[in-house]
Parts: sequence; C-alpha cells; structure tokens
Amino acid sequence: MGVAVVGSGLAGFTAYQALRKGGLAPEEITVFGTQDDPAGAFRRRAAAIRQRRMRSESDGHCLPATFPGLAVRSAWRRRSPVPLVSSVLDRYHPSLAEFLAHVDGLRERSGWERSLRAARIERVQAVDGGFELDGHGRYRHVLLAPGQPGLNMPEELRDDPRAVHSYEPHEYAATVTVVGAGLAAATEWLNALEAGAEVISVRRREPGRRVLNVPREYFSRRGLAAFHHLGAGERAARLRVLLGPSFPPGAEWDEPLARATAEGRFRVEPALNGSAQVISATGFLRGFQHDPLLARLVREHGLETVESWIVLAPDGSVPALTDATRTLALAGVPAQWAFPAADTLAGARYFGHGFLRRVKACPTR
Amino acid sequence: MSYTLRGRIESRLAALLPVVASACVLTAVLDRWWPVQVAALMAGVGLLLDVQVYDRLRYQPAWAALPIGAVELGIMIGVMRLLGIAAPLGEAIALFAGGWLSAQLLGHAGFPLLRLGYAEDGGELGRLGIVSVLAVAVALTSAGAVAYAGLRPVVHLAAGVHQGPLVITRREILVGEPGAIVRGGIVIRSNDVTVKNVTVVGGENGITVNSVRGTVLDGVSVSGAKLDGIHVRLAGIMIKNCTVDMHGNSLGQGIDIAYNMDLGMSMVEGCTVIGGMEGITTHSSMTDIVHDKVSGTELRGISVTEMSMGTVMDNEVSGALGIGIYCNDRSMCMIEHNTVLDTRADVASGNPTRRGFGVLASFQSQASLRGNQLSSNPVPMGAVINSEIAATH
Repeated sequence: MGVAVVGSGLAGFTAYQALRKGGLAPEEITVFGTQDDPAGAFRRRAAAIRQRRMRSESDGHCLPATFPGLAVRSAWRRRSPVPLVSSVLDRYHPSLAEFLAHVDGLRERSGWERSLRAARIERVQAVDGGFELDGHGRYRHVLLAPGQPGLNMPEELRDDPRAVHSYEPHEYAATVTVVGAGLAAATEWLNALEAGAEVISVRRREPGRRVLNVPREYFSRRGLAAFHHLGAGERAARLRVLLGPSFPPGAEWDEPLARATAEGRFRVEPALNGSAQVISATGFLRGFQHDPLLARLVREHGLETVESWIVLAPDGSVPALTDATRTLALAGVPAQWAFPAADTLAGARYFGHGFLRRVKACPTR
Repeated sequence: MSYTLRGRIESRLAALLPVVASACVLTAVLDRWWPVQVAALMAGVGLLLDVQVYDRLRYQPAWAALPIGAVELGIMIGVMRLLGIAAPLGEAIALFAGGWLSAQLLGHAGFPLLRLGYAEDGGELGRLGIVSVLAVAVALTSAGAVAYAGLRPVVHLAAGVHQGPLVITRREILVGEPGAIVRGGIVIRSNDVTVKNVTVVGGENGITVNSVRGTVLDGVSVSGAKLDGIHVRLAGIMIKNCTVDMHGNSLGQGIDIAYNMDLGMSMVEGCTVIGGMEGITTHSSMTDIVHDKVSGTELRGISVTEMSMGTVMDNEVSGALGIGIYCNDRSMCMIEHNTVLDTRADVASGNPTRRGFGVLASFQSQASLRGNQLSSNPVPMGAVINSEIAATH
C-alpha cells in the first residue's frame, strides 16, 4: 500500500511535486486521472476567457518551495531585473504562456507520466489501514484533488439559446450581457468591449477589488490560525464573505470600463435584457454535493459537513478517516474549509505540504 | 509575506545568526566589544519593533524591507549614541547592512528552500527557529558574560591625602572621591587604566604614562610636579577635563605626549594648563588638542613638533612668552578657531623666531589656519625655515 493522488489537474500535480520533493519516487506515488496534461482544464478555460496574465504572483507555480518563483526564473531567462523589481513591488503577474511552459517543463522533469494511471476513481472506501480506490487497489495515504465539479449555469439561462458559459469557447455578438462579478466576468467585459460590442453587466452584488482571491493574510498562518479557531457557523459565514466575487484593482481594468461607460458602451443593469448574447461568468458549481466522488464519500462514511463544505482538519485531512497509520486528505476547491484560497496554486501547495507531512510521519509507510 | 509574531521573531533571529557569528569573530580579532554590542542592538531593536509595531502589519510587501531597514538603522545608531557604544560608524553600518542583506537572502530564498511551508507558516521555522533563537541567545549571553568577567575593577580612592608615588600595574578604573589627593605622583604601567577625579600633588612627573594603551585621564588635577605635569611616552591616551598647574616650574611641560604615532589618535580635551615651559606639547604624535585653555607659559603655549600630525582647535592661549601656537619640525597642523592673545616677545632670547608670534610654523612644517582669533600678539603669524602657512578666514 502506497500513496495515491486522485485527480490529475493542477492541485494534484502540485501536491505530487511536494511528494517528490519529500523524497518519494515516482514509483511510490500513483496518480489517478483522466488527463495527462495537468494544466489541460485550466488551459481550456483560460483560452475561453482569453486570459493573458495570471492573477497569482511570482509564487503562483506548482513547485513545492516558493523560491525560486516565476519572477526569478523570468529574470534569469530574460537577463533582466524587471520581473524581480515588479515582484518586489507586488506588480508581477506571470503571463499565461510563462505559467503553462513552467507546468510543461515540470511535468517532463518530475516523473509525472510514470506515476499517472488513466482511470476515473468514483468511489473511495475506508478499509483496514487504508483506502480501497474503486477496484484500483488499496492505498494507505490518499489525497483527493477532484477539481471543480462543473460549470455553474444559472437555471434561467440553461435553455436560453443566446447563453454561453464564459469558460466555454465563444465569440462576441454586437450586444453582450455578462452575468457575474468576478475575475472571469471582468475579463469578459474587457474582451467584449475590445471586440467592439456593447456590454451590459448583470450582477447581484458589487464585486470586491482584491489583488488575490482572498486577503493576503489568509494565505499564511497569520490569518489561518484565527480562521481555524472559528466555530462551524462562523467559519461558514466567513467563507461566504471571503469567496465573494472579486477582481484585482488597477487602471488596466478601470480605464477601459470608464472609457466605455462614457461612450455609452458599458452599463450595469439589474436583470437580463434583450442582448444578442448572454455570457454566464458565474464560475463553478459549489459544494461537495455536486461532485459524485465526494458526495458518495460523505454519504458512505457519514462525514461531518457544514452547508456545502466537508469539515476538514487545518492540513486538509478528513479527521474521521485519518490517523497515525492512514491519511485521507482533500486538495483544491473542495478543501476550502481548511484553506479559503484552496483553488489557487498557493492552496494546492499548502495541501501538498500538509499531505507530505502526514505521509512522512506515518511509521508504516 | 504575512508573518505571525513567532514567525517574525524566528525569521529575524535565524537571519541574524551569521551576523552574530561574524560579530563574535570580529570582537575576538579586534579585541573590541562593539561588534557584539552592535549585533545585540540589532537584535534588541528588531525584536522590540517586531512585537510593538510590525506585528500590526497583516501583510508586509517585499519593498517594505527598505524603509523598515532604514528605520531600524536610524534607531540603532541613535541608541548606540545614547548608550555610548564606541563603534566606528562606518563599520557599524556595514555590519547592519550585512545583517539586512542576510535577512533578505534568507527570507526570500534560503528559508523557503529549507522549509517548504515557510511562507504559509507565516515565517515560522519550526525546530530551526527554536534552535536559532537559542543560538542567538546563547551567543549574546555568553559574550555578555565574557564582557562582564572582563570588566575592569573600579577602585575608589577615599578622600584625604595618599602618599605616592602610586604605581598602577593592572587594568582598573581609579576613581577619586571628592577630596582624594595623591602626593608624589601616579605612574601608569598597565593597559586600559582610567584615572578619574584624582588630584595629584608633587612627584617627579605628576602623572607618568609609559608604553601602555587605552589610558584615560578624566578630571585629574595636577600641581607641583618637578618635571612634567602629565608625561606620556609611547602610549595611547585620552586626557579630558584636566587642570595642570605648573606655577614655579619653568622647565617642565604641562602635558607632554611623545612617540605614540603608531598607537593611533590621542586627545587632549577641555584641559586648563597654567605656566610651565610649554603648556601642551606633542612629539612624533597624532594628537588632537581641542577646547583647552593654556596661559602664562615660558617657551610656547601649544607645540606640535617632531613630525607630529594633529588638529589644534577651539583652544584659548594667552600670555605665552615667545610663541602662542607652534607647528615645528616637519609637522602637519590644522589650527582652527583658536584664540591667541597677549603673546609676549622674548626679547632676552635675542631669537627672531621668538618675537611674539601668535602662530608660527617652522622647519619644513605645514600649518593650515582657519577662523583663528589672533589678538594683541606682536606678530600674528609667520612661517620660517621652509615652512608654509595656508590661512583661510
């Protein structure tokens, strides 16, 4: 019985790098997934919204240590201090191409292909001293990184022929309504304006303006310690606030919108109208209930949940199924109970570290 | 980076380890305590700010290291001055800069590589942090203990007359209680001796300092010496706030410092010398003579001679016979902001160089004069025998 990672997306890939750094050979780790490119899903979604730069900063990569980050690598490659200076000023956001090249390189170097088994795991069962993975064997330590459970298309748009989800390939009509208020929505406003469209923003609430997905202190123990001490109800309430839609502040967002507003090409409206196209920038389905693997895991093992979150220990492990001899942990978006920015690369690294600590502490690994 | 308080402290002290180690080595090599004192001050100032100020920052961007470093440097220099830590400024700043650089390199590169979860742990270093805190504490405490053990004993000289000569042969601080008098002179034969607030009466020389280092004479009063008031040979010395009364002794010098060129700078500051052949004289010496009052001398008021180098500044020389301030025998003298009054012509000597010069440069010497007040002197200034005076006002 060894170590398994269920999910071959960026969260699983980043955790895999931590395990490798921790001394595990590719043969000691099994990654179950349906895609061999860990950035495959991300690549498609980013292409759909025409994202050019990452929201993350220099440490938004898949390596187990924050140093050297993408700014250092870029400075070295370009023989220029500009990325480093930008990073020192918190102004460095790697280009999408840089990030994807980094993933490709790491994938080749790390032995990822040797650990990958093309299989979809639909059931995890706790057994004596480990976990049975849907007929694919028993593993003592399992990290579940199933990714986003699906695109969130509002009910009223499901049968609307004008509607497309922002993360699906699309072009822009002459008049475009964008539903949503997060980074994808803001990106779509600018994309549609650039394509010459008239843009209407429909949103239930005003977006927050944050450089990163959540306030910076929630990326470290500074904010997490207090977060982890909150009672269940308070923590759920805090998560709802923290996970509200936001996009970064900055002139690159504000100026085109102000210009288009002045020209009468951008406005905010309370409800859908007669636009030729409706883009649903409403992100993903939220909650373990939408993920068949997690929903079944909770149901079969009676795991504790609060609203749409599975209750986790601070390191992402499932308390009821984890002890000194075995680990079941979550990474990526379903692990927000432990780390609010779980769906970021920093979050993936956080859970990778936590999982590695568990694995290394196990006396019978 | 969003530090926890513990993370700040551990990161700071771990980054300070190389500095503390360097400071200990420097202290051993230089035989001076300032490197360890500066390192301890860096740790102290930093920790205080961590607890009282920086912990309020939820997030500290990388660029903030520059202003934070500047603030800490400023406070450190201020506290250094306040506590009288005798660290050379340039070297102290270099040590601080080394520490700052070490903190940046370790904080951004070293610690994240050593500890994968460094950033998400808010700068906490786990066992490495605890070891670092202990190592810095042990190093600084040990250094403090060694420094304490090496402190010079303080000897209090009781009020009343003590028959001398008093010969000091060990490192010590001799402090005279009010009314403490040594009759017959003091002889210093050990390094690192401080004599403070002692009155010396009589003796061959009032105070003799020979072939030692680190002597400080502070607030001494000398009178009735048969030869020199304070006689210094081959010794580095700091003389301040002294009184030397040479009345009735026309052959001895008030303060005579000679042959210590290789021992660094010496200083005579804030002294009052009355009478004697020369008030203050230096031979083959680098001595600054500042804020002194010299009067009624029989040969010269202040004399810098025999290839000496030094600053003669803010002194008041009055009633000297022949010459007020003398720069002689291939010496280099900066003579600034002195007042030389009422120098008397030595007619009886028949020597033209003693006809009452306020300032005289002689025998291949170079004197640079600035801002001196030369009044009631028969000749305000002059240069003889291939000497130069460069005067600016």
